[in-house]
Amino acid sequence: MVLPVEMVQPGIVVIEKIKAKEQLTTPWNVVVHNDPINLMNYVTMVLMRVFGYPRPRAETMMLEVHNKGRSLVWSGEREQAEHYVHQLHGYQLLATMEKSEA
Amino acid sequence: MTELRVQPIDEKHIRISGIPPVLAAMLRELPEILELRELPNAHARLFPNPTADHDKVNDEWQQMVTPELRHLFVSAGETVTRDLTALSSDKANPEGYQVTFPIEHVNAWMSAINQARLILAEVHKIDENEMDRTDFDPQSPKHMASLRIHLLGYLLHLFVDLDKGGEPENPV
Repeated sequence: MVLPVEMVQPGIVVIEKIKAKEQLTTPWNVVVHNDPINLMNYVTMVLMRVFGYPRPRAETMMLEVHNKGRSLVWSGEREQAEHYVHQLHGYQLLATMEKSEA
Repeated sequence: MTELRVQPIDEKHIRISGIPPVLAAMLRELPEILELRELPNAHARLFPNPTADHDKVNDEWQQMVTPELRHLFVSAGETVTRDLTALSSDKANPEGYQVTFPIEHVNAWMSAINQARLILAEVHKIDENEMDRTDFDPQSPKHMASLRIHLLGYLLHLFVDLDKGGEPENPV
């Protein structure tokens, strides 16, 4: 018979709960990466369509992708980050999600 | 001199007119190019992992999301392939070609054109330096692939300009 974890080492349960809570609250970043083929105005259009950003904000992000190789375009809950990356891949942008270090 | 245009002709249809013969030939090649999407390099570019270092998340993504994206991309290619059967001589300019299709196919056209550009780039290993090329040797498959990417890019650019009317009503 296997004893429930909390009866053997109650402390582990608490630690796991803290870890689970951290996983839920730690924001995920959505990052768009540069590639030499996608057009600049196409990337701007996609950022406007996917996130609803106004053109100036989308253009600023597009230029950051172009000049610095990547741009953090959104930050928030993991499930929503996955949804956005899915959409960006649907438009053939190179996009990833990563856990925020903040 | 033909002027390439992408414009609505009524509330339900878009027309690409003034298509030069070289671009018409490239459009006819689109279905063939899109069939290369499962070559390893092209596949990796069109269906990238969502994270840099979370193997479990990446594996789940490739199992769950990639088939959905593949369906989306294949469907866009099929729509454009069907529309291209209407590609014909431009009545207003006999040296050019034109094609008319339903306005709801615009996203499929943008997807198919961009897929083709990305696939050509991967198949011919075209990088940023190659994209800056201005002289094209007709005997070089790589140079001709670069030229195709640029010409298809110009057409895509016109589609994006067409989209400018659809800016968000409630910007973030």
